[in-house]
Amino acid sequence: MKAFRFLITVGGLACVPFTSGQEPEKGLPVQPSPIDKSRAPASALTLEKAVLATAPTVRSDSLLKVNVTYQSYSPHLPWQKLSPGARLGLGVVLDKNRVLVTGQMVADATYIELELPESGQKIPAKVVGVDYEANLALLEAAYSGERSKIFFSDLKPMQIESKAHVGDNLSIWQTGRVGELIVTLLHVSKVMTSAYVLPGSNFLVYEGQGIVRTEGNSFTLPVIKGGKLAGLLLRYDSKNQVTTVLPGIIIEHFLKDMADRKNEGFPSLGIEVQPTMDEQFREYLGLKPSQGGMYVSGVSKGGTAAALGVEKKDILLNINGFKIDSRGDYEDPEFGRLSMSHIVRGRAYVGEKVKMVVLRNGKEVTLEGKLTRKNPKDNIVWPYLFDRGPNYVVEGGLVFQELTKPYLQAFGEDANGTVLRLSHLAEHPEEYEKQGRKKFVFLSAVLPTPATQGYERIGGLLVKSVNGKMINDLSDLDKAFQEGKDGLDVVEFEDMPKKIYLDAASVDRENTALLKGAYRIGSLKRIE
Amino acid sequence: MKQSPVFLPLVAACCLSPVFAQDKSQETPQDAPPPRSRPLASTAQAIDVAAGDSDNIVNIDVSMLFPDYREPWNAGTPSGGSGTGFMIGKNRFLTNAHVVSNATRIVIRTTNDPAPHPARIVHIAHDCDLAIVEAINGTDFEKLETFQLGDIPKLNTEVSVIGYPIGGERISVTRGVVSRIDFRPYSHTGVDSHLAIQIDAAINPGNSGGPVLQNGMVVGVAFQGYNGRVAQNVGYMIPTPVIKRFLKDIEDGHYDHYVDLAISDFTIENPAQLKALKLTNDGIGVIVADVEPAGSVGTLLKSSDVLLSVDDSPVYNNGLVRVDGELMDMNEVVERKFAGDTVNIKYQRDGEKKEATVTLKRFAPYLTLGEQYNQRPRYVMHAGLVFQPMDKNLMDAHQIRDGTVNYWFDNFLTQKLYKERPEVVILTNVLPDDVNSYLQRSFPAIVDEINGVKIKALADVQEALKKPGDNPDFIVIKLLEKGRPLVLKRSLAAEAQQRIMKNYNIEEDSYLGNE
Repeated sequence: MKAFRFLITVGGLACVPFTSGQEPEKGLPVQPSPIDKSRAPASALTLEKAVLATAPTVRSDSLLKVNVTYQSYSPHLPWQKLSPGARLGLGVVLDKNRVLVTGQMVADATYIELELPESGQKIPAKVVGVDYEANLALLEAAYSGERSKIFFSDLKPMQIESKAHVGDNLSIWQTGRVGELIVTLLHVSKVMTSAYVLPGSNFLVYEGQGIVRTEGNSFTLPVIKGGKLAGLLLRYDSKNQVTTVLPGIIIEHFLKDMADRKNEGFPSLGIEVQPTMDEQFREYLGLKPSQGGMYVSGVSKGGTAAALGVEKKDILLNINGFKIDSRGDYEDPEFGRLSMSHIVRGRAYVGEKVKMVVLRNGKEVTLEGKLTRKNPKDNIVWPYLFDRGPNYVVEGGLVFQELTKPYLQAFGEDANGTVLRLSHLAEHPEEYEKQGRKKFVFLSAVLPTPATQGYERIGGLLVKSVNGKMINDLSDLDKAFQEGKDGLDVVEFEDMPKKIYLDAASVDRENTALLKGAYRIGSLKRIE
Repeated sequence: MKQSPVFLPLVAACCLSPVFAQDKSQETPQDAPPPRSRPLASTAQAIDVAAGDSDNIVNIDVSMLFPDYREPWNAGTPSGGSGTGFMIGKNRFLTNAHVVSNATRIVIRTTNDPAPHPARIVHIAHDCDLAIVEAINGTDFEKLETFQLGDIPKLNTEVSVIGYPIGGERISVTRGVVSRIDFRPYSHTGVDSHLAIQIDAAINPGNSGGPVLQNGMVVGVAFQGYNGRVAQNVGYMIPTPVIKRFLKDIEDGHYDHYVDLAISDFTIENPAQLKALKLTNDGIGVIVADVEPAGSVGTLLKSSDVLLSVDDSPVYNNGLVRVDGELMDMNEVVERKFAGDTVNIKYQRDGEKKEATVTLKRFAPYLTLGEQYNQRPRYVMHAGLVFQPMDKNLMDAHQIRDGTVNYWFDNFLTQKLYKERPEVVILTNVLPDDVNSYLQRSFPAIVDEINGVKIKALADVQEALKKPGDNPDFIVIKLLEKGRPLVLKRSLAAEAQQRIMKNYNIEEDSYLGNE
């Protein structure tokens, strides 16, 4: 199971098991709801007034129910998928009949449908664009044509509100059983940056206090200000009643990025920085009290900062004209004190110019270049894998994979032995990147076959070479297995037992047998 | 309860720790015990306690201090327990090391004698869980008959276990058969494995250190078993080859520990291995998977060599050898030897047969991974920063959850990290004070360098702190795989030292173990 943080922690509604009936309203006829009918007869006037006063029959013509069935791949037997599950949320209709949801909502989706809250009418949908880092996705009807036209005919696009401030009152919209609008007020108490769904992806959020009720379709909820979309509910902590909202400004950024169809994502600097509030540290670094600045403790390979020439031990003083203080904040003209990550993530686009001022050996150095985003594929460890399976190669029963974060997360917090070793490699890959490795290829499992006799108990081992060829990614390994000598394949690991040997003819024989065999392997490899 | 490290990932092996202190004040006073005149406990024979039959099997009452690795300057936690011991020489009692570990006071008692006899440790061997204690005034015990050691008993033969387990005050006897003879981990340290014999006689807390008898001879020392929720009637005794080795080792007056080949083997089962390694299919040879460079064969063997024989005992494909007619782990050959002894090794490299004689020595780095006893925790405290050497006791006490530290501990041997840092020093705590108020979230972490000096042992910390680094006004501490160096202004740190020691009640700013 993928270690996936779900949006709403309350009541288990966020993730309904596939088999438990994801459509409780399935049997309802497409006609005015029973509540409307019950109100029609002339009942006592006072009651009528009271009902109207407290619960006016408000509907939104911009909201849709979005029902998603998802299925992720097994981290251990990567040719097969795990049990499917369902996510039920709300989508917001934007122009051109497109529907906005969170990225999480459609991760690993196998089937997506849009449902009109009132009538229950449904059509299948597809993902037009998704950004898992910014946690946003755009959907549209799977098939254009009359059915889709009719479906969207009464829906109106909602506008985006990109500004909200501490003290503003927003409202969270939910739909009831028959499409009636349920409104919860949300008082914004904080504007800050915080990780979205993927670790390390810090973006702007609004935080507010208040209780969010559980309804069907609560996985993704729109947050409204003055009739416009001010954000999407990112998560709700029911214990502390803290609501976190993905704000309109990030949605705007995403839509702009989608509009040019290049889908370049959000830029990042690719550096690790440390605060310099410690006076003794500042004195050691030679920083003046008024100077602020963040100490650069790491520069990631292939990132924006590396391209600009930022070095470890530099002190970052200024980005794009914004002065960075000793805590890592700057004064944002719109939102006030904010973490510097928003200068790049929220205010700028991939390809734009960036200018940084660093203090190096006591002198200010200005560095300029272009903002980039590191493609997740270019990381030595896959940071996430959505909508696809892990790369693997099966040889005679040995299962090799490229190391992924989801694979490590599947083992939980208290990893030890080979998993702890792999986790450490994932955190500190620098030495291996220098060697030219593009991916960490490791033996993830051994399926017992005559070819793997004696090797059943090894696993989690980092591959060094196969048949004498260095292995930098899985396609290297795939090729190297065709270059055995004297009818033998030799796999060399970085770890104990260092070398294992396979009979090449036996490997071929078992590969054929595995394709039809008990492990239901449809393909002996996936290299994408 | 202790987890057995390698072989029992799901099953908890429970060491029979002497956790039950027993109050002996109620015992009936009697005259001094007469000398015993007949061998005790052939399996069918009754034991006459009043006649002194069991006087040479004693209860060992121990007061102890569990060292405090979290506040290493403190004395530790007082505790107590009791186990069993038996006479193997004049005023010489054999017992388990775990019965008398961390002892501050030891008292010997017998069922027949009301007097407590203060005692002391003569020798203690944690790696095989055996110890010799003596009464400080041994006159009462001089005339008693001593036990003789027998051989390895046969499977399915009867044995009796005698001792002072929970369930009462007086001596207890249980009986069973020899169930299995195997190479097993010894839970006392968690990292040592030796021959152990499984018996189905009940062994309970307090039995530890007691004799297991067959035909009047000692065939083992009861020492560990399983928690009743895990397995039933599985108790273990230390067999006589291990006891005899211990007794021989201490003949020269001190214990020199076990020696080890310090290699890991990998079974040959796959026909491709035979072909690749140019071996004949005769069942002989095991692959050398890993060699510890600091071990006895560190410069001789390499991984992917094939080990063919140890002292003329052929090593089979599964790593076993035949000793005294039984198939046993190949380590058993080396197990029975001593530091400085030699062993003959035949091996094959790249298809070529080779032979060498190596001198055996102790492989010390593995101790880091095992529990250690009778050690006062070592530390250096400077400006509130507490530095301690990484070992199992420390890891357990601090419940460390840090990717880097856990990786280093877990891979200390497997990745040969001990070569780079024989003793890994961890910043385990920062005692809050004005001088370090921005450093309080920087632990736990491995100390890489202090003032430019690479830290390879705790003593290096003490030295390096005094050294001027790139800027003499500052102390600069580099932590491994952590973002930024910790920087202390030297003058402020010096000023803070006395204040912190006073506030946190620290008598000495360091203990380096050189007392």
